[in-house]
Amino acid sequence: MDKFTTLEPVKLYQSVTSSKRTSTFPSAKPAAPFSLIGRLPVDVHILILTYVAIPDIPAYALTSRALGRLSKDERVWEARWKAFGIDRPHFNAILDELESQAKTQAGARRGQAPPTLAVENADDDFGDFTDVSAPTDEMGDFVSGFGSVSIQSPSIPSWQPKQTEYRARYIRAHNLLKPFARALSAPPHAILSSIFPPPAPSLSTQSHTLRLLSIFFSYRVKPLRAWTTLASSLRAAMDLFAEGLLTAFDASDGKGDEKSMLEVAQASWDVWDPAEGHWELARAWADKHEVFYDSQSKWDPLENFTKDEELDFDAMDTFITAILAILQEQGSRAVRVFPPDAHVLLSFAERMANEVVGEYISSLLTRAREISNAIYLRAVAASFRESWRIVDVVMQVASQRADAVLPKTRAEDVVYRMFEPNMDEYLDEELESLKQSFDTITKGWDKNVGLLQHSNSPTATHEQARFIGSHNPAQVKRNVLASFTDVLLLPVTIVPRTTMAVGKAFGAALTTGGTAAAQGIAMLNPQRWGGSSMQWGGGNQNDKSRNGYVDFEKSQNGAMVFDIGDDEDEEEEKRNEKASFDKFEEEKPQKRASVASIATTTTLGSSHSVTPSISSSSTRISTPVPPAASASFDTFEMLLSLDTALELIHADRDSLKRTDTFSGYPGQYGHRVRDTIEEIFVLVLQALGDRHIKPGFERATQQMRAYKPAEHEETNSVAPLLQFFELVHIGDTMQSMIQVYFDKEIASHIDKNDFLNTVVREKKRFEDVLDDSVAAGLNMGTETLMNQVEHIITKLTKPREYYPPEGVPLELGPTQGCTEAIKCLKMHCQLLKGSTSKEVLEVFYQEIGIRLIAILQKHIKRQIISLNGGFQVIADLNAYHAFITSLKVASITSEFAYLKMLGHVYVVEDAKDLAQIVRDVTRYGGAYRPEDIYEFIQRRSDWKKIEKTVDKTMYNLSFKEDCIIS
Amino acid sequence: MVLLVTSDNEQFVVEKEVAERSVLIKNMLEDVGESDQPIPLPNVSSSVLKKVLEYCEHHRGEPLPTTDPTDNEDTRKRTTDISEWDQKFITVDQEMLFEIILAANYLDIKPLLDVGCKTVANMIKGKTPEEIRKLFNIVNDFTPEEEAQIKKENEWAEDR
Repeated sequence: MDKFTTLEPVKLYQSVTSSKRTSTFPSAKPAAPFSLIGRLPVDVHILILTYVAIPDIPAYALTSRALGRLSKDERVWEARWKAFGIDRPHFNAILDELESQAKTQAGARRGQAPPTLAVENADDDFGDFTDVSAPTDEMGDFVSGFGSVSIQSPSIPSWQPKQTEYRARYIRAHNLLKPFARALSAPPHAILSSIFPPPAPSLSTQSHTLRLLSIFFSYRVKPLRAWTTLASSLRAAMDLFAEGLLTAFDASDGKGDEKSMLEVAQASWDVWDPAEGHWELARAWADKHEVFYDSQSKWDPLENFTKDEELDFDAMDTFITAILAILQEQGSRAVRVFPPDAHVLLSFAERMANEVVGEYISSLLTRAREISNAIYLRAVAASFRESWRIVDVVMQVASQRADAVLPKTRAEDVVYRMFEPNMDEYLDEELESLKQSFDTITKGWDKNVGLLQHSNSPTATHEQARFIGSHNPAQVKRNVLASFTDVLLLPVTIVPRTTMAVGKAFGAALTTGGTAAAQGIAMLNPQRWGGSSMQWGGGNQNDKSRNGYVDFEKSQNGAMVFDIGDDEDEEEEKRNEKASFDKFEEEKPQKRASVASIATTTTLGSSHSVTPSISSSSTRISTPVPPAASASFDTFEMLLSLDTALELIHADRDSLKRTDTFSGYPGQYGHRVRDTIEEIFVLVLQALGDRHIKPGFERATQQMRAYKPAEHEETNSVAPLLQFFELVHIGDTMQSMIQVYFDKEIASHIDKNDFLNTVVREKKRFEDVLDDSVAAGLNMGTETLMNQVEHIITKLTKPREYYPPEGVPLELGPTQGCTEAIKCLKMHCQLLKGSTSKEVLEVFYQEIGIRLIAILQKHIKRQIISLNGGFQVIADLNAYHAFITSLKVASITSEFAYLKMLGHVYVVEDAKDLAQIVRDVTRYGGAYRPEDIYEFIQRRSDWKKIEKTVDKTMYNLSFKEDCIIS
Repeated sequence: MVLLVTSDNEQFVVEKEVAERSVLIKNMLEDVGESDQPIPLPNVSSSVLKKVLEYCEHHRGEPLPTTDPTDNEDTRKRTTDISEWDQKFITVDQEMLFEIILAANYLDIKPLLDVGCKTVANMIKGKTPEEIRKLFNIVNDFTPEEEAQIKKENEWAEDR
């Protein structure tokens, strides 16, 4: 067949014989889609045919052969059939039923009275149907050949195998439904009874039939010329029908007869056209609930505010519970009665949410707004959390019917949609008020600092946690962080309530959590550690830190004590401390400032060897700083405050938790919520980094720059530098806190590995700010420290330190200037331990070493050194070397070893030997050239005497002889 | 911006978004990529293209119909009546109407083609075969037997 038609030449049509063939194979292959029929291409004709009204098709088909063929094209009828859209089981069932009715009727009539056959319109249609369907079937040839036979036996069985042919299917439906046109032209009130002549079929059949008819007589199908009028009278009939159902439903509802309700509801659902908006029955049912009308009078949203304008959500809780009870009761009925597809439960819940809960919340929020922003924010989060309970109830109710699958997201959408109007304002307000509160916190802090700086009084000093004051800064830091983490893990009170509803784990957990959180946050305040330090007790380690703090507190009165403890010796010392703990009160720190000595073993590299016996068992150095000296720098540590950082993070966390309540929001608002969460974290980073840490460090650096060693009596501690180190510790702790906060609270909201993420970038930036601040400060600090060291050395070195008068017995130990300088250096080096990374520390040490060498060289060149004094020089250099060695930085250690060797040039008596030593470059590992050494030996007290010999030996010439022109 | 050249060599500079209402041009742009090369439209005259672009301009930004028309909702929407603007837009003389349909078919602008075809379908309403032939410029090539056959085949559809 295919082969035949595709190869069929056009000319064949012209022959008379071919005419039968074309009609025989109605579904013959169409012409190529782009070939023109008349002025339009084939596929455009097909499109037009799918839009043409059915009664126009015969005329269209009669225009030409090609179009005649096209009018039967399956593509046309497939589109039309799909537009018809009745390919559903219940519609097919109705068609089948109509068909069998028609068959029996026809059969009955035929048997009864043949003459009436011609009169009956319906019969005519029926006749058409049999006639027309014949050519469409497979055996068209056969049937048309036996045209007379087909009239007698309706061709019902013959179309069945042809289900796939859309045209045949359409014709069948068309012929079955067309007879109703007559019924529809009856007067409006009689339409229903003429469509369904008594005995009326079941409700569901009626509703399906009506629905089918409404689809049939519509724009989509356009079966008859008069379809518009027919459609409107059908519409009227359907309205009538629906109204009847409504009444019936109402009656059953009144009786509580759920079975008949179910039936009526189903029928009403079936007859309802989704294109017409709401389903009247469900709406009417919902309308009957009085909760929609009296909720405002029954529950007063303003009861959620206590007299002193605080929030207390007991009222809302009762309200929601009542609402949920109604929802539960009526919702389950809705689930039982209404067809699952109708989602009446959802629309009921939605209405409940929008009209009752939404109204309630909006007046609640309006009032909250009037009171204050903070209350407003809390009220938003709280009311959302309360409304969320609707979801659970809806899900629970929906699960009662197995065939109604309700995805949880749809239940959630109810609440989300209800709450949406509040979101814009809330999110904006959340950020705005967070910015404001950060502003207040940092401003308040700045003001504080300003005041303190002006008043310049030591009494104003806040008690701060002082890491430096403790034996083990790292341990203290760990403790702070541990408690900080604990606090972070505590839940935040979203729904504020004063009384706990019994059995409501929901509210209870939150309330208790709230107080615990408050306590936890309070504990985080370092100022209270001293007072409640017993709470920290328990472990050995805690004792350590406690002692550290108590220690510090006591010393606050008069002076600051910096304990530099060797970790190994700590255990031993602690016993002493514990024993004297009770007496600590009276004990003045100065008492404990036992003179410290540094165990040194000095070995002279030359033949003269002295073994100093000075050593001390005590490695503890307690250095008192007189208040006078430190007064102006007391405010220094105030430049940064853990307290402020805590306040910031705490405020931030409140915000975050509130916003977190909404984090499940889908769609556009979901994005906004997530953006807001990120923004919240970024804000805290900016507030802490740019507005607290950075200015703090900058001010500290400035103060260090202003520090002039000469102006201070104190010799061995640089107050600003000490406090700067304290700042570094605090900054480090802050960073750790941010890290913990990030890990616990933010990490779940973002992709940590996404380096383009704003949060990750901002965090990096924050760390950079801190690092930069520390580096800048350290740089300045090193300079200040070295200035101080130089100051110490020059000041404490007596004029004849290295040129002792003859006959005075030598006391071989480092000079006072040397010991003080080392003490000063050592203390500062120790302080930095544990607060900065090893690399930074190493760089710092190295810098110190290099600068110290320069200072010492300069210093030596300023002195006049006798042979005896030479030993003094050596002793000093040995002391410096020992100190540098203890820093364990390889590069500067060797530098100092060479410097130590240099000391020898002052103890060599013989000028020739001296010259040898000077020339021996290898001795100094290349660090000093002979010329450099030459400069050093010029400082010898006997230089004038030995100069000639040295020169001669070194350069093999004598100026006197060689410069005389002979 | 896209440069279009009509059969009568007139050039049209159109925004990409507007031009891409035409699936043909859209695919072409996707294949060729961004270029300043003019796109020749040898089957469309300038007067028709002007009209078509007017339609595209008005409907810019609307979602393009999916190629898969199985979606029931979609079909339902598609078959609803012509919108007011479209109705006014398509009220043109017969010659232009067919030109627009041809252009829409060639440029693959489905919604416009639909509007055109629906209009034609409305025009056909109640017309005799001879009138329709005149409309489409078709010659009757039926034999009387064939004509009778076709008539019989479509008898069911007659509105009586």
